[in-house]
Amino acid sequence: MGGGGFGAVRAVARAELRTGWRALLLMALVFGLVGGIATGAIALAERTATAYPRLVEAVALDDARVLVAADQPQLAAAVPSLPGVAEVRTDQAWIAQIDGPALRFVSIGAPTTQHDDLVRPVVVAGRMPAREAPDEVLLSESIAADSGLGVGSRITLRMLTLQQVSMFDVGFGPPAGPTTQVTVVGIGRMPTWGGALAAVQAGPAFAAKFLPDIVGYAIYARFAPEPDAAQRFGAAFARTAAVVDQISPSVVAQYVPHSVELPGAAVDPAVRAAEQVLVGGLVVFVIVLGLGGLQVLGQSLLRHHSARRATQRVESALGMDVVERTAARVLAAAGAGVVAGIVGGAVILAAGWLEPLGSQARFEPAPGFRPQWELVIIGGLGIGVVFLMTVAVTAAVAGRAQQPTVTRPRPGGTRLLRRWPAALLGTRLALHGRVGRRGLPAGTTAVAASLAIAGVVAAVALGASLERLVDTPARYGQGADMTIVDAREADVGRLVADPRVAALDVGASGTATLADGTPIETTSREVRKGSLPVALAGGRLPVGHDEVAVGPRAASTLGVNVGDTLDIRRVHGGTSTLRIVGVAVLTSQNNGAVGDGLLVAPTVMRELVPGQPLFDAAVVAAPGAADALYAELAQNLEVFPRQVPDAVRNLGDLVTLPEILALVLAVVAGAGMVHALLTAGRRHAREVAVLSVLGATPGQVRSTLAVMAAATVVPALVVGVPLGLGAARVLWWQLATATGVAGDLAVPWRLLLVVVPAVLAGALLLSLAPAKRAARTPPAVALAGG
Amino acid sequence: MYDATTREVVAPVPDESVAAAATPDPAPPELVVRGLRKTYEAETAPVRALRGVDLTVGRGEFVALMGPSGSGKSTLLHLLAGLDRADEGSVSIAGIRTEELSATRLARLRRRHVGLVFQFFHLIDHMSALENVALAALVAGAKPAEATERARDLLDTLGLLEKAGESPANLSGGQRQRVAIARALANRPTLLLADEPTGALDSDGAAEVHDLFTRMHRVGQTILMVTHSADVAAGAQRIVRMRDGVLLGEIATTGEQR
Ligand SMILES: Nc1ncnc2c1ncn2[C@@H]1O[C@H](COP(=O)(O)OP(=O)(O)OP(=O)(O)O)[C@@H](O)[C@H]1O
Ligand SMILES: [Mg+2]
Repeated sequence: MGGGGFGAVRAVARAELRTGWRALLLMALVFGLVGGIATGAIALAERTATAYPRLVEAVALDDARVLVAADQPQLAAAVPSLPGVAEVRTDQAWIAQIDGPALRFVSIGAPTTQHDDLVRPVVVAGRMPAREAPDEVLLSESIAADSGLGVGSRITLRMLTLQQVSMFDVGFGPPAGPTTQVTVVGIGRMPTWGGALAAVQAGPAFAAKFLPDIVGYAIYARFAPEPDAAQRFGAAFARTAAVVDQISPSVVAQYVPHSVELPGAAVDPAVRAAEQVLVGGLVVFVIVLGLGGLQVLGQSLLRHHSARRATQRVESALGMDVVERTAARVLAAAGAGVVAGIVGGAVILAAGWLEPLGSQARFEPAPGFRPQWELVIIGGLGIGVVFLMTVAVTAAVAGRAQQPTVTRPRPGGTRLLRRWPAALLGTRLALHGRVGRRGLPAGTTAVAASLAIAGVVAAVALGASLERLVDTPARYGQGADMTIVDAREADVGRLVADPRVAALDVGASGTATLADGTPIETTSREVRKGSLPVALAGGRLPVGHDEVAVGPRAASTLGVNVGDTLDIRRVHGGTSTLRIVGVAVLTSQNNGAVGDGLLVAPTVMRELVPGQPLFDAAVVAAPGAADALYAELAQNLEVFPRQVPDAVRNLGDLVTLPEILALVLAVVAGAGMVHALLTAGRRHAREVAVLSVLGATPGQVRSTLAVMAAATVVPALVVGVPLGLGAARVLWWQLATATGVAGDLAVPWRLLLVVVPAVLAGALLLSLAPAKRAARTPPAVALAGG
Repeated sequence: MYDATTREVVAPVPDESVAAAATPDPAPPELVVRGLRKTYEAETAPVRALRGVDLTVGRGEFVALMGPSGSGKSTLLHLLAGLDRADEGSVSIAGIRTEELSATRLARLRRRHVGLVFQFFHLIDHMSALENVALAALVAGAKPAEATERARDLLDTLGLLEKAGESPANLSGGQRQRVAIARALANRPTLLLADEPTGALDSDGAAEVHDLFTRMHRVGQTILMVTHSADVAAGAQRIVRMRDGVLLGEIATTGEQR
């Protein structure tokens, strides 16, 4: 240290604090807020990204589950002793018809004894059914949402016998099993419902009461910690099942396949894609906000210290070295640093109220306030430290001896601009001028502005594409208002004649086999009335004998596109080579997946798909007639209203995210731009004064500043808009393909047409403010100040 | 040493009437100042920088203004150039009264009649030396090609042609001041105002610049120059002394022309 010592440092710090505490406090508040929001976004990203694994942990998720028919108890009994198994829970299962506006069947599961260590749904409302209450059930969230049932609802369950279940395809009379009234006492959350995990869960008392009437066993297994446990279990189960089938085949074999579900591996790729986009968006958000905050803080502090440069010169003359002078400034800012840290920490803490983003909210095991204390403490400390470090750096930079900036102008490049002095000086200052005396070069600002505009455009285009998808059911293969499952020709004929039906297609679907042995769901659609909207992601629908359309997701996994060919095995031997004429979005009748499978002409269907296909009738109602028609049909047909596939629903949950991102980016970038333009006059006061000295009129000064504003904004727009559209195109294509829908981007032309001129006009308008100030300040004063 | 081009370049152009309202008499003095007063509102007490200044500078005259620091020399120059407004009094340049002119008309007057040179150059670092000079010609209304041509000629005359593409930041003090002088001449001013043009230069640089002023005077340029240097002042025809905001007396020099 120099001669000053700590006493001098303290004295200088006191003086700094006295004259600058207001500015320091303001900067600390703003930086704490911005840092807190950025770190809070990290907390949110963490909560979003970990929602699924935390849920898996919280529900004690099983590794494998199987469903065994009630008439094969030997198989159920054999499962616990199969290789690879460490722990097993066996529940009883029933199928019941529930009362409601439409014909519905649900499966019910109940354990014989209470289990807590394997498959334990997170209760998001109410409680688990009581051990001794046979009339209490817990519903899965999805069935609760679909049926409009909640805690306290009473439902009547009319159970089916095993015999009735075996006649599911040919039809059976009213349910012949017991009927019981139950009360919904809770709503449960699991990573996935369905399959062996019944959407209605009851307790041991229910299981004991209806034991004679079960239709199957739901068995959940935890594997031993061995690397090949899954394979060994799968193989052993298949072997055992084959043996049992030999001895005593099940009457419901076709509905209870001997397949092993692996719930841990069952995350939909669309969910993963959505999650990546989500976390990616948050990361961009954090980076933009963090860098923006740091830049604003740095600039403000630099101005703060530069204004006091003379004081530092005096201190230097009195023998204080740069370390002591900087230390004094850091000491003066210590209190502000603490404030920044506390404000930041508080914001991070408050971010604990934010639920995981998008579809991931459905996986949150602990809904509601979830404080992340480590992040609060580390983030708060970090924000305070970064604040003080920025104080130190800017103080040291501002106190350094002034050196002329050496830039080598390129005289050749501006022939055109010479026409007009304002243009020459304006562009020069915008492109070469520095932000602040020693701040970032203007090029950095231009790059940052371009990226920000690109970000806004990309986010808006992505949001528009998401919105268009969610708002256009045909885009996800749900052009019909309702679909009648197992439609019979008599019903179809009646509907075609019904004036309330605008369009009707009869679909047939089954499984064809590609030449390499891969099974693939294949559909044909026969137009019976009107025209049903089908989303084409390219090409056209197949009509000819050798034509086929593929789903977007299938096209991506098979690596084919319009113009290629597909070889498919024929039912009676040999293969057919079909030409791909289009990419069409269809929803599977089997599992509701979007964009998989093939679409062929009805005649081709019979040649490629063995056995009897599943028929359905897709109905578009005349305007206004949909609800009444549905209510009528639902009384005696299994008819489903338009359903939003999970993958699309997950994407739908994201719609607001790009909008929020666009808004925040726009606000941050806009604030930066406004700041840059408003301070442009001050930054270039000397140059503007020189222009006046040379005889430039106030009008010419205004033009110069306007050119400067345009030269800042126009390149950012010219680069940013196409860049943003390009990025959105790539992102949307990936997201859409993973989801199985068309990957064409919805370009928000109208918005762009308004926003681009508006940004330009705004910049020009903003340049009037510094121009006005420049006109008010006599050049003599401006030159003296420079 | 002083060729025809330069003579043409630095020769005053006839006044094509800036303000039609003003009617200049046949051959008015280049500069007439009457009762000029200026008070700055400072933090403690108002500073009376000018307390009634009267001054006349004839066509082609070279006048040196001397006085202690803070006596109001720069203030006077700024008021003459219209870079700030006086509280009282009048200034006529080429017969045109400036105090009633609007900001725009004042700027046009400056563009047509006045060239300014400062102690600290005030060049624009983001532009080359050539562009700095051409900018002044452009502002004065020259066509782009003509402005570049004029800037090139001026830099050539001042011996700086090989530095034309260089940023002022890369030039020596003397070179920078010569670029600044070229810029002040780019609009062919009838009145050249210089505020301590040698103040920030070493003796070599000062000699270069001093020499330049003498040459300009010889081809008929009207000059009012603030200086602290008796040597530099000795090159002028007339020395005006200033103290506490008023002019004291005048000393006629020999108008020594080395
Ligand atoms: N913008 C201003 N605001 C307040 N006071 C000013 C301003 N400009 C000059 N002054 C004051 O007016 C007086 C005259 O200043 P001026 O710059 O004209 O002096 P000067 O003769 O040029 O001095 P120097 O030889 O040091 O350049 C000084 O007392 C100065 O402090
Ligand atoms: Mg002065």
